[in-house]
Amino acid sequence: MRAAAHAYWRMFVWDIADLRLLLPVLGCVLTLQGAGFVLGIGLFFRHIPETAAVFVATGVPVMNLITAGLIFEPQVVADQRLRGSYDFLWSLPVPRSMMTLAWYTVTLVVALPAMVIALLVAVARYGIDFDVSPAIVPAVLLTSLTGVLIGYAIAHGVTAPMTARLVSISLIFVMFGFSPIVFPASQLPGWLAAVNQWLPFGSMATITRAALVGGEAAGVARGYLVVAAWAVASALVVAWALGRRR
Amino acid sequence: MAASIRRGPGHWLSSYLALLRFDIASQRTWLPMFVLTQVLFGAGMAIIYGFYLGHMSHQEALFVVSGAPALAVLTSGLIGVTTMVVERKEAGSWDFIWSLPAPRSAAVASTFTVFTLMAIPGIVIALAIAAWRYGLSVTPSPMAVPAVLLAALMATSVGFGMAQLIPNPLVTGVMVNVLIFVVLLYSPVAFPITQLPHWLADVQRVLPIYYAAQVLRASVTSGMVQDVATAYAVLAGWTVAAWAGTAWVVGRRR
Repeated sequence: MRAAAHAYWRMFVWDIADLRLLLPVLGCVLTLQGAGFVLGIGLFFRHIPETAAVFVATGVPVMNLITAGLIFEPQVVADQRLRGSYDFLWSLPVPRSMMTLAWYTVTLVVALPAMVIALLVAVARYGIDFDVSPAIVPAVLLTSLTGVLIGYAIAHGVTAPMTARLVSISLIFVMFGFSPIVFPASQLPGWLAAVNQWLPFGSMATITRAALVGGEAAGVARGYLVVAAWAVASALVVAWALGRRR
Repeated sequence: MAASIRRGPGHWLSSYLALLRFDIASQRTWLPMFVLTQVLFGAGMAIIYGFYLGHMSHQEALFVVSGAPALAVLTSGLIGVTTMVVERKEAGSWDFIWSLPAPRSAAVASTFTVFTLMAIPGIVIALAIAAWRYGLSVTPSPMAVPAVLLAALMATSVGFGMAQLIPNPLVTGVMVNVLIFVVLLYSPVAFPITQLPHWLADVQRVLPIYYAAQVLRASVTSGMVQDVATAYAVLAGWTVAAWAGTAWVVGRRR
């Protein structure tokens, strides 16, 4: 147990040191993405309806969490593969589960400030009354964990760096455009809304939104189940990809 | 021997034609990717904006649809052209091209020609998909020809000039990403400029993004755009400025 905790801490420090130049940049990108999106969407409406404002304000933090885990991780690993440091990392005498946990922590450390700033900008711009419940803790932790695990599954399951990068870039498009994160699912065509019932992104937004503004309890339990199922499935892929011998 | 001095319009034209063959041959593998990027950003964003906006009035939908060509042309100039310039920089192809016994202006002119023409299919497809998605019929006027050509030439020239002027490819990459963000979220392409805060509207009245959207919109709709002449003039101004920047960076000795 002590050894595991020690390994976790060493890997956390390692990741921070390894990405010391990249992490501040990522933090800025996430902040710009979050605050920029909150402000930008308002321009599309002559008078933004309150529901639309609430959806944007509560959806953008989820975008931050997903971007940090799902989009950034595959690109970092693709770089590591190209440089050859990937094999070196796996040769370290550290449990791979602890490596994953350390990376999860790094993701949270980078994404949380951006998330808070986006929420503050939303309050300032749209005057939204947030009613934050304690459920925000599991909602954010689970959303981020699932994002990280899916990112891990792509990063470690797809061995060709270019393909991994392509998958993660296409996911940005799917996430920003075709998932009900910053707008209600009812604004999607029926078939796309139905597909999104089984994808993790819309559900991540549902559980986070419920924890931020209260009310709208419908579908929250289902949301947790869908997101958790994606976490478990991704964890299995990760375990397979990391555990096998090459 | 006078015959060995290669200059004059005849030499320029034959160099231009030879380089045109070179450019078309080197871009042929690229073309599908280029068109795909345009369709993704043009038609894709038009569809996505619809999701963001929810229920749209006819006028709002018309704005989104008639903005699709501008999104396609701007992203192709920003992403397609800059990527090509940066790739050639990293591969050292520009040094090779500048070493050819051809005027550099002919080389640049041929690249501009190829990329301007390459942008056209993507613009048309993006407009067609967007119109189909919202069940609107758009009728292009004859002015669509100069509008598409000037907007595409402007986007190509600015993208090319920017990528040539910025020495560090990483900085170019960051600039491109920032500009895409600005084009997609903060530019009056899919919505009227009156919805912007005053200071941002003033900034947009200097940049070419708004005017590219205006000339393209005017060519496929009627009554939505006033003062098209100004828009053409600003676009032409940006094109010429980009040419000047390109001429300076391409023509100097290192």
